[in-house]
Amino acid sequence: MTTTTATRRRRGSFAKVEARQALGFASPALVGLALFTIVPVVLSVVMSFFDWPTFGDRSFNGGANYLRLFEDPNFLPALRNTMVFTVLYVPVSIALSLALALGLGPRIRGRGILRVLFFIPVVTPMVANVLVWKMLLQPQGLFNGLSQTWFGVELPNFLADRQWAMIMVVVMSVWQGLGYNMLIFSAALEQLPESVVEAARIDGARGLRMIWSVMIPMISPAIFFATIMTMITSLQVFVQPQMLTGGGPGNATMPLVMWIYNQGFKFQDLGLAAAGAWILFALIIIITALQFGAQKKWVHYEH
Amino acid sequence: MKKMRVGAVVAIAGVAVAMTGCSTSGGGSNGSADGDTIVVDMWSGSEDDTAALEAQLDVAKKQNPDLKIELRTAPWGDFFTKLTTNMASGNMACVTGMNSGMLASYTDGFVPLTADDLKTAGLAEDDFAPGATEILKNKGDMYGLPFDVSTMLAYYNEDMLTAAGAELPKVGWSFDDFETIAAKATTGGKYGFGIGMGDFQWQALPIAMSGVQPVSEDGGLQLTDKAFASAAEWYAGLVTDQKVAAPVASASDTGWGENQFTGQNAAIAIDGTWNAVGYLTNDAGFKAGMAPLPTGDNGNLSLILGSGFGIAKSCENKGAALKVLGSLLSKDAQDYIASSGRSYPARAESQPLYFESLDESYREQVEQVFTAAFENVEGQHVSDNWAKVGTFVQPQLVSVYNGQASMKDVLESAQQQFGN
Repeated sequence: MTTTTATRRRRGSFAKVEARQALGFASPALVGLALFTIVPVVLSVVMSFFDWPTFGDRSFNGGANYLRLFEDPNFLPALRNTMVFTVLYVPVSIALSLALALGLGPRIRGRGILRVLFFIPVVTPMVANVLVWKMLLQPQGLFNGLSQTWFGVELPNFLADRQWAMIMVVVMSVWQGLGYNMLIFSAALEQLPESVVEAARIDGARGLRMIWSVMIPMISPAIFFATIMTMITSLQVFVQPQMLTGGGPGNATMPLVMWIYNQGFKFQDLGLAAAGAWILFALIIIITALQFGAQKKWVHYEH
Repeated sequence: MKKMRVGAVVAIAGVAVAMTGCSTSGGGSNGSADGDTIVVDMWSGSEDDTAALEAQLDVAKKQNPDLKIELRTAPWGDFFTKLTTNMASGNMACVTGMNSGMLASYTDGFVPLTADDLKTAGLAEDDFAPGATEILKNKGDMYGLPFDVSTMLAYYNEDMLTAAGAELPKVGWSFDDFETIAAKATTGGKYGFGIGMGDFQWQALPIAMSGVQPVSEDGGLQLTDKAFASAAEWYAGLVTDQKVAAPVASASDTGWGENQFTGQNAAIAIDGTWNAVGYLTNDAGFKAGMAPLPTGDNGNLSLILGSGFGIAKSCENKGAALKVLGSLLSKDAQDYIASSGRSYPARAESQPLYFESLDESYREQVEQVFTAAFENVEGQHVSDNWAKVGTFVQPQLVSVYNGQASMKDVLESAQQQFGN
């Protein structure tokens, strides 16, 4: 009896020592995590409940920032623009890159080079991409020039027109992000088990039927992953509208992140910016959760 | 269990650090290692800029051998971000650079200068060119004194105007002349005028035409002032009615009119005196000229802009800082700025040296135009939320120039949102 308690006590003290040592070894990582992730996150929650100018006195104002969000004439339009961008961008991007991945199948010669070509916009700096698109789209640019010389038709001023500006931001973003999803889908397609494909072929599956009923269900985990990631990045869109349209004309292409940026860094109202950022965070979490909920219906994990 | 404990420790540490972050507001040191050192903080975009600042600092060191003076620099863009952080942490340099366009957001950090302060610095308001002391004033308080002054001018492409058979703008030209020249120069796919997107660039002509600033002297927003609003509508009409300027392609083209001018797509553009030498010796190689803003029934009022130095509120050794400020704006330092041709000095007696530094081929024109342009200037009035007004109006201008919104509606809506 006494020996067992002694061992237990010894084991207990060993465990304690070990735990301390483990904590010692883990501390560099923990400090990093605390400093660069936890503190900013906690701080941004705190900020969102404060009247927090970049300098000057800060004061607690309860949830007033969250109420002010809805009084701001630009917040709801920015939220709407972000949603419109996501609704337009995600399906088009996924569908096109899937089509591209299917199209660049094993029978295409030189598909490696084609894949590299489609991937180039992903690795090129966005500033360069945007400059090129601006040169194409502006009234003195290539598209309007060609249209006028060939057909005598003057095209709209794409980036300055309320209806066209958002469409062009989406088009440019799709072109820019196409290669990334294509690569994910290509990798998934290469991994398709030969036996299943062959069995389907023997059963008479060809062309669209093969793609729709066999290939797509088989790569549905990859499609699910790509959809989630694309959706999250599109809710956080900033650079494309900032550089291509400056959020304009008016606030027609100003996304939520640009609104947050303006509040925080142009108008020095960090509290309001933090509140806006938490709304964005909530939005992303809710939509991602919904997608995870829906995946049971259409994502097949075979292996 | 262990995991939870570690998590708790980290969370508590996080909150603790966050709280420490909250509590550091104001106080702290004055940005110097010891009390005797006066730090001068100024933007600098290149080694050349820094060398020029060092030369001015040498003047201050020579005049104040008992003081230790130190220079701190950052590029223009970072300068104001850093200043914001330094102000928040009470680390602002005793002598800090400031620009007329940025002052409104930073008045909290600077101490208003009194007549006694100027005396301590060895300066007098009369030392400066007319209007120059208004540059770093906000709502009647003077937060600093300028080392250079600038205003808005009309620049023209002489080659384009001559080819189109249009007259050249000259000192004393009128708004009618402007319209005639712009209309004549609009030919063969090129335009007579490059429409402005930047606050200073687009507001210059409406201000000159109406003789009214969009903000009153006491900081009240008056975008819907009758004279200013109708002048602004006329300005937008240059694109939509008179069609002498190309509509802007995107709200991200913040330098549209100036780029149209340097790209030889537009014959005339409005820009600041700070770009005079750049335009006269342009890379494209066309012959450029300049003129003051055109004159209308209400004269040709223009804003006087510029940069200078102020004293930080948190500065512990204000007397010494004032002496350094005085030296940095003394005749010797100003003569240096002028004779190196870096910018047009704020001190009246140093101004002639600036022209002497210029190339002979355009010296006379610059002197004549500068002298005329600075005759009718006024410090810029700014409202508290001026940055918000600019951020709202600029992307709206794109719709205005493309005929999808009216200038009147945009100004009214801005006035409604941001007018107190």
